[in-house]
Amino acid sequence: MKILNFNFQLSKFKWFGLAVIIIVAAALRLWQLGAVPSSPDWDEVALGYNAYSIIHTGRDEYSAFMPVVMRSYDDYKPALYSYLSIPTIETFGLSVFSVRLPSAIFGILTVIAVYFLVKDLFKKEEISLLISGLLAISPWHIQFSRIAFESNVGLAFNVFGALFFIKGLKRPWLLFFSITSFVASAYVYQSEKVFSPLLIIALAIIFRKQLFKIPKKLIVSVILVGFVLSLPMLWYILTNKNALERAQGVSVFADQTILKEDAKRLLIDTKNHDVVGLVLDNRRLVYAKEIVANYLSHFDFNWLFISGDLARHHAPNMGLMYLWELPFLLLGLYFLLFGDFSKETKLLIFSWFLITPIPASVTTGVPHAVRALNFLPIYQVFVGLGLLCALRWIGKYGKYAKLSFVAIVFAISMFNFIYYIDQYFVQQSYYTAYDWQYGYAKAVPYIIQHENDYQRIVVSNQPPLDQSYMFFLFYLKYDPALYQSETKDASGGFRENHSFGKFEFRPIGNEKESKTLYVGRPSDFGSDIKKLETIYYPSGEGAIVIATNK
Amino acid sequence: MKKNILLLVILFIAFFLRFFQLGAIPASLTWDEVAWGYNAYSLGINGTDEFGRFLPHDYLESFGDYKPPMYAYLDVVPIKTFGLNEFATRFPSAFFGLLTVLVTYFLVKRLFYKSENAKLYGLATSLILAVSPWHIMLSRAAFEANVANFFVVCGVWLFLAAVQDRPWYLILSAASFVASMYTFNSARVVAPLLVIILGIIFLKRLLQHKKSLILAIVVGILFILPTFKFLLSPQAGLRFQEVNIFSDVSLVTTSNQEIKNDNNAWWSKIIHNRRLVYTAEYLHHYFDNLNPAFLFIKGDGNPKFSTQDVGEMYLWDLPFFVIGLVLLFKRKEGKWWVIPIWLLLGIIPAAFARETPHALRIENSLPTFQIVIAYGFVLTILYFKKYRKLITVTLLLLLFLNVLYFLHGYFANYTREYAGEWQYGYKDSLTYLKSVENNYSRIYFTDELGRPYIYYLFYNKISPSEFRKNSDINRDVFGFVHVNSVGKYYFAKDLPNKEGKSLYVNIPSMVPSNAHIQKKFYLPNGSEVLIAYTL
Repeated sequence: MKILNFNFQLSKFKWFGLAVIIIVAAALRLWQLGAVPSSPDWDEVALGYNAYSIIHTGRDEYSAFMPVVMRSYDDYKPALYSYLSIPTIETFGLSVFSVRLPSAIFGILTVIAVYFLVKDLFKKEEISLLISGLLAISPWHIQFSRIAFESNVGLAFNVFGALFFIKGLKRPWLLFFSITSFVASAYVYQSEKVFSPLLIIALAIIFRKQLFKIPKKLIVSVILVGFVLSLPMLWYILTNKNALERAQGVSVFADQTILKEDAKRLLIDTKNHDVVGLVLDNRRLVYAKEIVANYLSHFDFNWLFISGDLARHHAPNMGLMYLWELPFLLLGLYFLLFGDFSKETKLLIFSWFLITPIPASVTTGVPHAVRALNFLPIYQVFVGLGLLCALRWIGKYGKYAKLSFVAIVFAISMFNFIYYIDQYFVQQSYYTAYDWQYGYAKAVPYIIQHENDYQRIVVSNQPPLDQSYMFFLFYLKYDPALYQSETKDASGGFRENHSFGKFEFRPIGNEKESKTLYVGRPSDFGSDIKKLETIYYPSGEGAIVIATNK
Repeated sequence: MKKNILLLVILFIAFFLRFFQLGAIPASLTWDEVAWGYNAYSLGINGTDEFGRFLPHDYLESFGDYKPPMYAYLDVVPIKTFGLNEFATRFPSAFFGLLTVLVTYFLVKRLFYKSENAKLYGLATSLILAVSPWHIMLSRAAFEANVANFFVVCGVWLFLAAVQDRPWYLILSAASFVASMYTFNSARVVAPLLVIILGIIFLKRLLQHKKSLILAIVVGILFILPTFKFLLSPQAGLRFQEVNIFSDVSLVTTSNQEIKNDNNAWWSKIIHNRRLVYTAEYLHHYFDNLNPAFLFIKGDGNPKFSTQDVGEMYLWDLPFFVIGLVLLFKRKEGKWWVIPIWLLLGIIPAAFARETPHALRIENSLPTFQIVIAYGFVLTILYFKKYRKLITVTLLLLLFLNVLYFLHGYFANYTREYAGEWQYGYKDSLTYLKSVENNYSRIYFTDELGRPYIYYLFYNKISPSEFRKNSDINRDVFGFVHVNSVGKYYFAKDLPNKEGKSLYVNIPSMVPSNAHIQKKFYLPNGSEVLIAYTL
């Protein structure tokens, strides 16, 4: 059955259409990349400076040689993103733009890859154009394509992996690319260590018949390649106890508060000889419920369409998707379930959809737009199918009905799009500069100018100036070799005090040392100190104050 | 025949879960419950409410919240029969909750009229409603919403019956819908909307039975007329003003700031239009009521409506809810479309309020959730040809475990953990005061726990006429009623420090250091809630 029977004949213009989508995607991801969001956050500067450090010394800030995983703020970031930003930093120098560029490029590549993936799955030009177009303008995808967040590259590798897998069913040698992509995603972002293997298993089960037709030798060598490529990561995980620290730190099992109430109940159950209670108030049950709750939290309309989660994860006063997409999302879900698409396609889309929240489910702070970024491009698939389904249904009422439907949806979506563009490019810096740890870009040049007048420079490391040392390393382009020798391999850590050169990073108390420059939050200083310079947020509130003894 | 027995079993389960220990769990009566009980008591004596209005039909003033009066009338007979106590106060809610389980069976049969599985769907829905944590918790306290829900369910059932083969039921349906509007505020929105939508869709069928249609309209209008004037009055909207989202000015401030950030561009004024902002805010509150954690994990954040351990529905319900929803749209059986429309309509009034999600205010969506679950459940079972019995028994066993989890929490932990939420402490302290009141010339009672006077009237069975004679009552600018004293009992936030032979009852944090403590009153979890002392 033909899904689209109106005669725009998109397929004739497919290259033109794809070109337009790529241009739009690129424009939305590259324009003002270094300036919006208004400041890099701590993870972005860490990725950037560690790449810079590796370029110059082959080692990260802790002097680890060519790390697979970077300790960073004790969050043990998989290191691939830093390596990917080496070429851009080499080309453009150490800047916010060059750190974000890899993410933006992978974002654009994802839009292209989604076009081909969807084409292979749905075999229809118009569907693939529509869905990659939706991804190109997706607020969720743009958000993470415009910041150096590893998750976005992880998503790209997953999409590449799936694409090469589907292509590989016909040209088996492509399976090597597939497995390489999937393994690469695990070197980029934590969540992928759970997501990618599950997706590979799902793919293998769904397409088992086609896989059986491929020579066994080839399959075995693909698996071997995957295993060999994973070895460095596996080796790292098995030999470094600390590597799991981050995972434990954010996991639900680290959340003791949920156990407290339970412990009280168990005491009472014991006292009352309440056997049923002892079974039901079991700790494992409490955790299991928490994990299910976390999983389900990702199916909240408010999260998706109205409010999003953390400020850095979405444009202000918006969700992760356009509100106009909601009805089509629901329609698309239904349409995919019962429409005449191949069983494999349906299974793949739905398993991808249901696997995505799993890694985030065992963590706290859910729903989490970054850890669940792999929902893309599935939501776009639903919305795209929903649009086509609605179009087909309305098409029954004649050409004019169809045209007016297209016009109305276009008008509403454009309205929503303009709103988003305004929220993202104009309102965001006003509302979220605090969350983006704004201010260093202006403070550091001032300090460079005056640093010779002072013996010591004390910088606060209290929120929102957390991990201020890394911002200074980044903006000072501090010599990595010098830094490593000064700190003697004892860099940052999470919220710890430290120092390099004449810089000290620690809470600023009630102190008045002479020949000392203080850099802190407005609340760090009383009237008894001389304020030399104040950096303001775009909203006019003070962000960083530079001060010295009177 | 077998199915009738099953229905009886389900009703017995529903009865047990709604009436067992009804007077003792929840641990205490909230002030609204006490107000229902006492007004019913008052109506039963001489047909006036606590403030002496004779046969009020439009509202009970109560604390100035202008309660729709139905619940109090329905409570007259139970109070006459069982006395002025917790059980009798809650009786109508539990009783109509039980009836809802029964009527739901008939409703579902009508919804899937002519479907071969209609009876199965009906039985499954009744079962799921009977054990529903949502419905059990709302049936076990004097919540007028629960009674309104019965009338709405009844109204829809009778309406469907009328357009199918019993035209005269239309009159009863109209009466039932109107009754719901006399019972609960949200129903005043939901019932008319439901009637309008059902009316439009079944217009053809309705016009075939003009006589009953006209009669039903006449009955409906006649019954609604007495309260119509009140519905349009400012008092009716008073409480709405207080809780609605449009009184939140911060949204306008934000939108103005955003326009300013765009240098007051004309297009910015369009995209940041406050109507759009409020629409988004409305949707936010609407979607809150569909939050998965609310529905399936923790339930309403207000412990009066949820034990906090179980969602408004069971986790067991979730897969069948999803399956049921999908299959409902896929199979298009009977009048399937009534279910999603009703579900979505039921949430409309609640989303105007700031406190969302709200299990009580969206209760008029019940039992649509349960119908969807039952639909999914029955079709899942029927999908299996082999081992059907085994699968059914296994699934029901899992449901039983989930129910057990809820019931254990409810009966073993809930009273202890959340008695404070139910204004626990009044009964013990007032009983004590009764025994010693002759020794004191004045008794000062704190109103920190809220509306102490009504508890005094309730537990001492003070006759309403005596209350009106010996009390000091005033009403503030917001319309709230403050009872400052009844007889020798004085109620205030700040109790005086020294005055003759007086007894004081206050919350622990407000007891002065020089107090001579006479008696302490405790919550079931052992913490002090009220202290009686002299100075």
